[in-house]
Amino acid sequence: MPNDNEIIDNIANKEYEFGFVTDIEMDILPAGLNENTIRYISEKKKEPEWLLNWRLKGFQAFQKQKLPEWQNFQLPPIDFQKISYYAAPRNKKKYNSLDEVDPELLATFEKLGIPLSEQKALTGVAVDAVFDSISIATTYKDKLKELGIIFCSFGEAVQEHPELVQKYVGSVVPHSDNIFAALNASVFSDGSFVYIPKGVRCPMELSTYFRINTENTGQFERTLIIADEGSYVSYLEGCTAPMRDENQLHAAVVELVALENAEIKYSTVQNWYPGDKDGKGGIYNFVTKRGICKGANAKISWTQVETGSAITWKYPSVILQGDNSTGEFYSVAVTRNRQIADTGTKMYHIGRNTRSRIISKGISAGHGNNSYRGLVQIGPKADQARNFTQCDSLLIGDQCGAHTFPYIESKNNTATVEHEATTSKIGEDQIFYLNQRGIDSEKAVALIINGYAKEVLNQLPMEFAVEAQKLLSITLEGSVG
Amino acid sequence: MTPSPSIPLFEEVVNGFNKLSVSGGTKKESSDLRRTRQSAFEKFRSLGGFPSIRNEDWRYTNLARFLKDEFTIEGWGGPETPAPDASLVEKAHIAGLDCYQIVLVNGSWDGTVTGGELPKGIQLLKVADARQDPALSVYFEKQAGWNEHFANLNAALFTDGIFVRVEAGVVIEKPLHIIHIYTSENNLLVQPRNVWVINKNAELSAIESVVSGGSEGGIIWVNSLSDVLVHADARFHHTMLQTAGTGVRLVQQTSVRQHRQSLYNNFTFTLPGAELVRNDLQTRLEEDHTETHLYGLYLTTGNQLVDNHTLVDHQKPHCFSNELYKGVLLGQSTGVFNGKVYVHQEAQKTNAFQQNNNLVISPKATIDSKPQLEIFADDVKCSHGSTVGQFSEEALFYLRARGIGEEAAKGLLINAFAFDVTEKIRIPEVETHVNELISLHIPTNHA
Repeated sequence: MPNDNEIIDNIANKEYEFGFVTDIEMDILPAGLNENTIRYISEKKKEPEWLLNWRLKGFQAFQKQKLPEWQNFQLPPIDFQKISYYAAPRNKKKYNSLDEVDPELLATFEKLGIPLSEQKALTGVAVDAVFDSISIATTYKDKLKELGIIFCSFGEAVQEHPELVQKYVGSVVPHSDNIFAALNASVFSDGSFVYIPKGVRCPMELSTYFRINTENTGQFERTLIIADEGSYVSYLEGCTAPMRDENQLHAAVVELVALENAEIKYSTVQNWYPGDKDGKGGIYNFVTKRGICKGANAKISWTQVETGSAITWKYPSVILQGDNSTGEFYSVAVTRNRQIADTGTKMYHIGRNTRSRIISKGISAGHGNNSYRGLVQIGPKADQARNFTQCDSLLIGDQCGAHTFPYIESKNNTATVEHEATTSKIGEDQIFYLNQRGIDSEKAVALIINGYAKEVLNQLPMEFAVEAQKLLSITLEGSVG
Repeated sequence: MTPSPSIPLFEEVVNGFNKLSVSGGTKKESSDLRRTRQSAFEKFRSLGGFPSIRNEDWRYTNLARFLKDEFTIEGWGGPETPAPDASLVEKAHIAGLDCYQIVLVNGSWDGTVTGGELPKGIQLLKVADARQDPALSVYFEKQAGWNEHFANLNAALFTDGIFVRVEAGVVIEKPLHIIHIYTSENNLLVQPRNVWVINKNAELSAIESVVSGGSEGGIIWVNSLSDVLVHADARFHHTMLQTAGTGVRLVQQTSVRQHRQSLYNNFTFTLPGAELVRNDLQTRLEEDHTETHLYGLYLTTGNQLVDNHTLVDHQKPHCFSNELYKGVLLGQSTGVFNGKVYVHQEAQKTNAFQQNNNLVISPKATIDSKPQLEIFADDVKCSHGSTVGQFSEEALFYLRARGIGEEAAKGLLINAFAFDVTEKIRIPEVETHVNELISLHIPTNHA
């Protein structure tokens, strides 16, 4: 049986599996950020006047804002002028079928295991793949079209459904929300757009895969999902990036709008490059995600499995505006080596009988630091609002840290809010129990961790659950507490 | 941050501090203490003077409306300290309690002890004298590193208070009851500094009551700082009863340091009255195998703003801490709870528990709760819980089905809710006293 130190070394030396670079000719905008950058992007994407103006408003907001200081980690200095804000594969013509796509690119997605090709589409996943800044191909579009579902790249949506985009973009995450959201608003390059019409239940999981390939580029995608009255959609998002010594910034924005009786389920498996064992390189994953339950009985559910990125910093939130609406947040965040995760959620209870449920599981190993930061806010009109929060932390090794910062604000005396948090390590008795039954310590730990995270993993759609489970056991391979 | 000169109190303390150096009031103090005052005041200024809601620790406690009033600083040639008012002493009296009792008016003690002669091994001194004693000066000199606005202000400008020391191995059988009376005709800033030193293997029970005159007279802003040092194997049971009237704004900071195998119990009861109460209770577990219990109960009415900040700083292994704070909110009052548990990397085998429960009775009351864990050691058991809720409909129905009127039933439930905290009080007379105070303030009309 390996001893603790060997095991910790083992985890630390585990290489990043998805660290390959795809050699494709790219259209890259020189590094730097000014109004011309924004005009260039907007022009390149043939955007209407109002969107350019909105971008410029975002840029003004960005210039006014300072980097925040309240977070529970040392924010490395970010030089926004050293980032290239636009990178696209040079092959610019429109594809009619996948055969026309650059084979290198297809091979990349093959390696990532994305069921992009039609054969693989038997798994029933419609994929919109975002490669650096441009949405490459969207599968299954025709089938979705029959139901009136719009699933396309953000750029396409701007051209084809400008009225929807104009109505909802920035309605949940305003252009001036925070510095990274403002940056995204001004330079966002592409992303996904989903519209589910009234009463339609989307028959398949919609999925996007993000990949940052080029050095010194940031990825600023923007996702907008609108579920009209009585509709349902489940959306998956996965992320990887090649190994680089330099840090890359990922500042995305996700906006969800659920109208009356609609339900949106948003799942993320995030496996950006976390940097090497000394904390060199890796992605800064600073994402603003927010949903609004606009109508009565609406429901928004966030599920995330965070295993990658040097720094993960995000708080998927739900504004519970409609009466009887529901918000959920399920999260597993794993940090090891020098990784940092500062994540959690915000639930704003505005309407009556609104409910929210927060389950957060943090796992820290090596020198990793994991923070849960959450806000549950009950407004004066949120009669009978109900919240339940549980955040547990598991510590593996004596150099890591686990932190919880829950904020509870209640302005209504009929509300019931519960919060509980625990921190502990894997019990020796648990490992001993499994050892006795012929399960070696490594497998025992994997088993215990999977059991620990099960409540969250269960929320993921089937295909993702399997992948997430694998990811968890790979990430924490051989970690005996 | 830039200082906020528009606040009249800020100007007053700046003038006060400038006067301090010329008045000669600190002439007999050690040069180290004078330096501490200087650096504490510089720190206070560099922190921007008084805190605003932009400061994370004051996020829910907006002082703006309290800082509009003008105050004069007590001491250093300010108004004379009045003699204790017998009716106020009576108000703070705990029925049936056999104790040594002393009375401080605006932080000053006249030297009299009632309830019997003090036994050997306990020493009570006026801070006005102690701070000029070279042997004791060291107890006032260690505040400079603090980040707290008010603590620094106190460290810079304190004049008086009470110094309590229990000799090694001495167990003081009878509790010590300190009655803090705050009274003034004009608006006044009072900054008492209290020091508690419980030497090795000694034991002391102390009750501190805060009372004030009615709403007539001036507003008194109390910025009190208590330093508590519990040496190895010593035990200190510390109870605070905050029953001051509406004219009082109370900022009470208690900084506790615990050494090996020591025990510190703190009970903080905040009752209706003072319009602003901010308690900062910080316990630093500087050596191993310590035990700490923090119990709090806040019952708020009217426009009260009651804020309890606690910190349990686990620096060494094998320490145990347990914290239970409960709140009952009435009227348009606001309750704030922030409990931080910090476990250092060295502090393996730590057990730290924390709980905050709130019963929000009035529809206009607000509660902001922020429990917080920061853990850097892996072999620990730490948990916290926080709840906000209402009367259980079932419990109410159960009582009413048995012929108990709604108001009485609610009263019973509030008492039961508070019981978890009050039952922990070790002295029966104090427990009865606290229960009576709670019953007194449970209004018959809950709207």
